[in-house]
Amino acid sequence: MRLWTRIHSWLRAMLGRTRMENEMDAELRFHIEAYTEDLMRGGMAREEAMRRARLEFGGIERAKEECREARGLSFFETFSQDLRYGARSLRKSRGFTAVAVITLALGIGANTAIFSLVNAVLLVPLPYSKPEQLVSITGTYPKGAFVAMRNELRTMDVAAYFEGHEFNLTGRGEPVHLTATLVSAELFSVLGARAELGRTFDRGEDLPARNGYVILSHAFWQERFAGDATIIGHAVELEGVSREVVGVMPADFRFPSTKTQVWVPLDNDPRNTVAYWAGDFMPVIGRLRSGATLEQARAETRVFQSRVFQLFPWTMPASWNADVSVVRLQNGMVAEVRTRLLMLLGAVAMILMIACSNVANLTLSRAATREKEIGIRFALGAGRGRIIRQLLTESVLLALAGGLLGLLLATRGLSLLKTLLPADTPRLMEVHMDWRVLVFTAGIAILTGFLFGLAPALQSSRAALAETLKSGSRGAGMVVSQRLRGGLVVAEIAFAVLLVIAAGLLIRSFSALSHVNPGFGREHILTARITPNQSFCSDEARCIAFYRNLLDQVRGFPGTSGAALINTLPLGGRVSKRSVDVEGYVVATGQTAPLFWLNIVTPDYFQVMQIPLRWGRGFLESDVSGEPVAVITAETARRFWPKESAVGKHIRLLNDSNWRTIVGVIPDVRAYDLQRNVPNWIDGVAYVPYNPTATLEDKRVPAEMTLAIRTPSDESNLARQLSKSVAALNPEAAVSEVRSMDEVVSEAVSTPASTTLLFVAFAGLALVLGLIGIYGVLAFLVSKRTREIGIRVALGAQRQDVLWLVMKEGLLLAGVGLALGLAAAIGVTQFLASELYGVRPVDPLTYLGVAGLMAIVTLLACYIPTRRAMRVDPMVALRYE
Amino acid sequence: MDKQLDLLQGTLDMLILKAVSLGPLHGYGILLRIQQISKDRLEIQQGSLYPALYRLEHQGWITSEWGESENKRKAKYYRLTAAGKRRLQAEAENWNRMADVIAGILGTKPEEV
Repeated sequence: MRLWTRIHSWLRAMLGRTRMENEMDAELRFHIEAYTEDLMRGGMAREEAMRRARLEFGGIERAKEECREARGLSFFETFSQDLRYGARSLRKSRGFTAVAVITLALGIGANTAIFSLVNAVLLVPLPYSKPEQLVSITGTYPKGAFVAMRNELRTMDVAAYFEGHEFNLTGRGEPVHLTATLVSAELFSVLGARAELGRTFDRGEDLPARNGYVILSHAFWQERFAGDATIIGHAVELEGVSREVVGVMPADFRFPSTKTQVWVPLDNDPRNTVAYWAGDFMPVIGRLRSGATLEQARAETRVFQSRVFQLFPWTMPASWNADVSVVRLQNGMVAEVRTRLLMLLGAVAMILMIACSNVANLTLSRAATREKEIGIRFALGAGRGRIIRQLLTESVLLALAGGLLGLLLATRGLSLLKTLLPADTPRLMEVHMDWRVLVFTAGIAILTGFLFGLAPALQSSRAALAETLKSGSRGAGMVVSQRLRGGLVVAEIAFAVLLVIAAGLLIRSFSALSHVNPGFGREHILTARITPNQSFCSDEARCIAFYRNLLDQVRGFPGTSGAALINTLPLGGRVSKRSVDVEGYVVATGQTAPLFWLNIVTPDYFQVMQIPLRWGRGFLESDVSGEPVAVITAETARRFWPKESAVGKHIRLLNDSNWRTIVGVIPDVRAYDLQRNVPNWIDGVAYVPYNPTATLEDKRVPAEMTLAIRTPSDESNLARQLSKSVAALNPEAAVSEVRSMDEVVSEAVSTPASTTLLFVAFAGLALVLGLIGIYGVLAFLVSKRTREIGIRVALGAQRQDVLWLVMKEGLLLAGVGLALGLAAAIGVTQFLASELYGVRPVDPLTYLGVAGLMAIVTLLACYIPTRRAMRVDPMVALRYE
Repeated sequence: MDKQLDLLQGTLDMLILKAVSLGPLHGYGILLRIQQISKDRLEIQQGSLYPALYRLEHQGWITSEWGESENKRKAKYYRLTAAGKRRLQAEAENWNRMADVIAGILGTKPEEV
């Protein structure tokens, strides 16, 4: 209530300022006139009465000023006064202002850019209606289990999807290879997404014979159909199957990722037992029904998980989805990038701290030269609080200027960042600056201003209080100030050391990763995905003949020295799983047969990919039609035949009648990613020749294969020739993903590459800022102690004494900073562990290297001020003050 | 006429509150009333009266509105608010207690110690 009246009075004063001034005038005039009249009534002459009245009233202007102050108006007046004064004073010392603003702009800019990422990826709600109800179930389920889940769960409506399915679009010009996402009918309604054109899928449209539909992405619709709205209701040929286009999704609908070009309903057919219970294991999302909580959904899902085993036509391993849970969809989607983003945010926060320390140091140096100015202000009656406030206003002004420039840098940096980050970073397309980013930047700018302004302001106001005008340049305040400056530099160095160590570890890890032997040759190999329709390959002989003819033609291309096919190219992002019986391996009760990664290849695949043989032999042309054979990897051999040779042993693809003889063992190939050969749920790797018995889990020979060509010639040329050959052999087969093996491997390290690059940039920035800090402190020290050094030299001090005098200070600061930084790094780098490969977070070599690097650069930073000190001429120095 | 006393620091606010508690007054009127009640024994700096009024109004203890003075001129009248009434009461009590204590101390005779 009282607060309200104050605000009210203050608001009235602010809003009706002229009115208030007029009223104040009128009120005071009334007073003086009334008094004049009273005096005249007492017999005084008019002139004399007016004079007396004014005289007795005292200073009218002062009274008015005090009245304004009483209203609380003074806050803003003081503020604008301080602002003007600050701006003037900053303009006067341009060098200081420039260095401070640039330093702050770098710190704030880096923070703004990284925060924009964090904001868009982690903070902004998902672009679906009521995103807080959307959840993600952490397990994956086959169709059958999903359908049961859909029928039984009461806490949420669920939808399943499977991304990365390959489809050919034919019948309208050149065949196109599409990336499709298979979805259950309610995916769109669960997300609350509407079509831009037409409709989304209706309930039941994922059942066999009722699912002949497709929905297009906006981008694909534009690209292929030139945005033709009449496409709705028309049929397109997908994999030789006619499907009706029912809708087009809006441009900003990107679920599950930007890669998806079309959405096709699942085929939930229980009669196809294998596909229904063992086909693609799909992620499931859900929308909480009104009133249901996340905890209830979690509990219900766990109960469901315990029941679902009984539905399977065979025994599922008990470990399947054992730790299933339900999380917010937003968290579920970005789980992988979260750590990396937070790491980057931590790094830029440290840079900001360094920038703050640096500017605080600069401000302190400047305060030392401003002692007189501040002293005069004291003498003129300014209180300590008033001085502190003025100095703080100045630093906040400085920080805001830095923030503005930083925002500019961040806009440039952000577009760079978006191209630098791997394209599969979730929600990367949504990254842009919004009001949250602006608020964040303004917030850190103001906070920064206080952070680097407070200590110097307290310091110089205290110094001024003690010293006022009595001494020329230095006194008690200097000592404290020097200690404070030392502390700031130590903090800077410690932060810089931390960042440099992090960068060093990432570089070591990246280099280890880049030098990993992937197990195949990456040079002079061109790859391309060839995708005839699945229906074309239902006639196995036709399919195999097509590929044989294609290989013959490709081998005839000029410069080509070999060509082979494989269903899943290493590092190509595809896994083909197949349950296998292994000779002599007893499957424990409650367990399923070992799950293998089945590579189906043409005989000279190993030669083309330069994969050597460890034991036995590779495939021969005669193996295609001869006795069934297989080749396994060394890891697989070790696992199933640890004590004896695997060559000559047998395996059998589940449901296959013939056992295959293992004829050879090859070294391990990094097929899944560069860290791991295979995902952890795969038990072994086998290669079999491409023939009618080489079937996948759906009992079919793979239609889609990747062609690997050994050739020195350039891509574009070859790609054109290849397309022509494929089109001539099968007009419905598409050619896509044309890239060299080198590119495939580079893409596999694109994530660590970008993280490392960013950290190196940040560490470099931190290092430079930290060094400027040491340099600044030492230079200031030397300039303040010129006289002392002069006296020392005059009294016979040698050059090395002077050298030591200055170096000692610099090395002490750097030493303490380095020690603190190293100690902190041991703890902090644990957070990096998940990003590191082939190097431990506490890597002695990195730590030693960083310590050495810091020692060298510290010496460099000390060099210039030290040299200046050594050149001090005692005569000049003694005359100096 | 007795020699005029300088106003004790901090008491002007209390006197103003007391003056307006007797009825709405304009600034000059407040000055006159204080002088009248004090029988001209208090010296008030006229210039310091208005900042005090503005301060009291800002704190919500008095409010003001424009009215007509005795000689038909526009003048700003101040009146006590409910909060001001409580404030005046508290200040008066405080003052009286303080005055008692001081008087007690000053009235102490050597044999009483």
